Amino acid sequence: MPSVRWRLTLWHAGVLTLVICAFAAGIFGFVRARLYAALDRQVEADLATVETVYREETGDLGELAHRMGIAHFAVMEGSTIVYRTPGWPPSGPTPHRVRVLRESSHHIVAARDEATVRQTLWTLGIILVAGVPCAAGLAIWGGYFLAGRMLAPVATMAETARTITAESLSARLHVENERDEFGRLAHVFNDTLARLEAAFEELRRFTADASHELRTPLAAMRSVGEVALQRSLSGPAYREVIGSMLEEVSRLTHLVESLLTLTRGDSGRIQPNFEMVSLNSLVGSVADNLKVLAEEKEQALTIDAGSPVSVRCDPVILRQGLINLLDNAIKYTPRAGTIRLAVNQRRSGEVAIEVRDSGPGIAAVHQDRIFERFYRVDDARSRDQGGVGLGLATARWAVEANGGRVELESEQGRGALFRIVLPAPGG
Amino acid sequence: MRVLVVEDEKKLAKALREGLETESYEVTVASTGEEGFFLANHDAFDLVVLDLMLPGRGGLEVLTTLRKRGLQTAVLILTAKDTVDDRVQGLDSGADDYLVKPFAFPELLARIRALLRRGRPDPALRLQLNDLTMDVMTRRVTRAGQPLELTVKEFELLEYLLRHVGHVVSREMLARDVWHVTARATPLDNVIDVTVARLRRKVDDPFETKLLHTVRGVGFVVRGGEG
Repeated sequence: MPSVRWRLTLWHAGVLTLVICAFAAGIFGFVRARLYAALDRQVEADLATVETVYREETGDLGELAHRMGIAHFAVMEGSTIVYRTPGWPPSGPTPHRVRVLRESSHHIVAARDEATVRQTLWTLGIILVAGVPCAAGLAIWGGYFLAGRMLAPVATMAETARTITAESLSARLHVENERDEFGRLAHVFNDTLARLEAAFEELRRFTADASHELRTPLAAMRSVGEVALQRSLSGPAYREVIGSMLEEVSRLTHLVESLLTLTRGDSGRIQPNFEMVSLNSLVGSVADNLKVLAEEKEQALTIDAGSPVSVRCDPVILRQGLINLLDNAIKYTPRAGTIRLAVNQRRSGEVAIEVRDSGPGIAAVHQDRIFERFYRVDDARSRDQGGVGLGLATARWAVEANGGRVELESEQGRGALFRIVLPAPGG
Repeated sequence: MRVLVVEDEKKLAKALREGLETESYEVTVASTGEEGFFLANHDAFDLVVLDLMLPGRGGLEVLTTLRKRGLQTAVLILTAKDTVDDRVQGLDSGADDYLVKPFAFPELLARIRALLRRGRPDPALRLQLNDLTMDVMTRRVTRAGQPLELTVKEFELLEYLLRHVGHVVSREMLARDVWHVTARATPLDNVIDVTVARLRRKVDDPFETKLLHTVRGVGFVVRGGEG
């Protein structure tokens, strides 16, 4: 397959040549028809002149050839030739146009040589035949030049794109004209690059964070074990050491399982099992599960039970998401705070589960990123709470797997409202 | 009771042998699929613990062949493959139970006990340990003759512990069997710890002999007497 530039050029030149050929043929045909028509009119004028002279002064017929330049004609009465020009009937290398005027007593034949017409047509033909290849050549040259100019941005883009690798995703294509096709193409390309860059950046941070999170329990296990081996301990003391190491193992296990869940969710390998679920009872049972934690902190955990609402969802996954949100609310709300759960149907028909706490709230700068994996608002404090930094990420995944979204409304110092919004039960 | 462990990871095989021997099982370890197949075919075991990813002959293939030959022994698959498809495939190949690595050892023991218990009569409706009694039907719990006021969850937790008396139960087992939360990445450990602490306040705090013990890093156990 030749290059786009050559294909464009050839198409352009081909179409142009066809048009020129058609045009040339048209001109040739038109001129030819006009010339022959003119010749015919001349012959007829000759006939008329000869007729007039024949009727008025038959003897003057001989002078006609000299005076009027009528070279070939013959006048006959029956089969008798009254007059004929020298060299009648006309002959020569080129044919003649012949016209006959028939009257009752006589008839007149006149002829004119086509040589001039043919000569003119021949010259015109030469000009046209020689002109078409020239025009085609010009078209090819011009087309090639134009296509080159038009395609120049593509070459530039290709050159830039070639230099872009995973390490230099921040590079962007130069956009010459925002509104033309290439500008839009470059824009699309740049958008893709931007998304890729963000994805790579997220992946890189995720890997770094995950290794950090994995390393923390490993370091603890290692130190606890090594220190225990340095000293001679009693049986119960060894049990303590091993128990402490096992605690880190459960933390690692929990971390790996959360990561696995999220990774499988990403790759679509978790198939939700949808069924009609009463959100009121789901919320009730989750609150039931976690209320001991709130009680320990003397928090008031209440449910605003509106009218019963059911939606199609995977109860296991949704429950996991809600548990994570509620656990989070209890964790970050201070002692004696309040946590309110509510189920309601919104005017849009969507269904919402709200988790509202009276905790410290979340500053605006953190709100966009708080659902990211391993993102922590306050590193040290979160770790003390025993979290691995995946709770909200898991919650968001769980809700999105059910076709919903998680909204967050919060102001620093004024509590936070996490809202699970699920599609309308009917739709 | 004789248990055959087919596991190629040496450390894990050793831990399984020692752990099961502590529970007074007689343990034979095979480290390849062929060896496991040979042993299961020629010796009588009460239970086979089978890894799936084995050198040479894979665990599933061994299992399928054994079942085709009419082997009736209970088989528990122990593997790192944890998707639903893997489980279904394992159970369809003739396994009786399926446990995913990393697993809690108390859970393995509980499942082995459950498999070996199969076909026995229904579980008891009256549970007792020392001076603690539980009537599952009337939901009455007394200790030293005094009735104890337990919440629903506390009752279910105590019942579960009493049904595993003398054996450690892990938090994973409690989350799944008492709280009925099956998704593994769910933060319930705090809930479990708090509930256990409250149960202990009611069952143990007023009394001299402590029955409910925490095994650090592993789980909880109720046992009578000292220790």
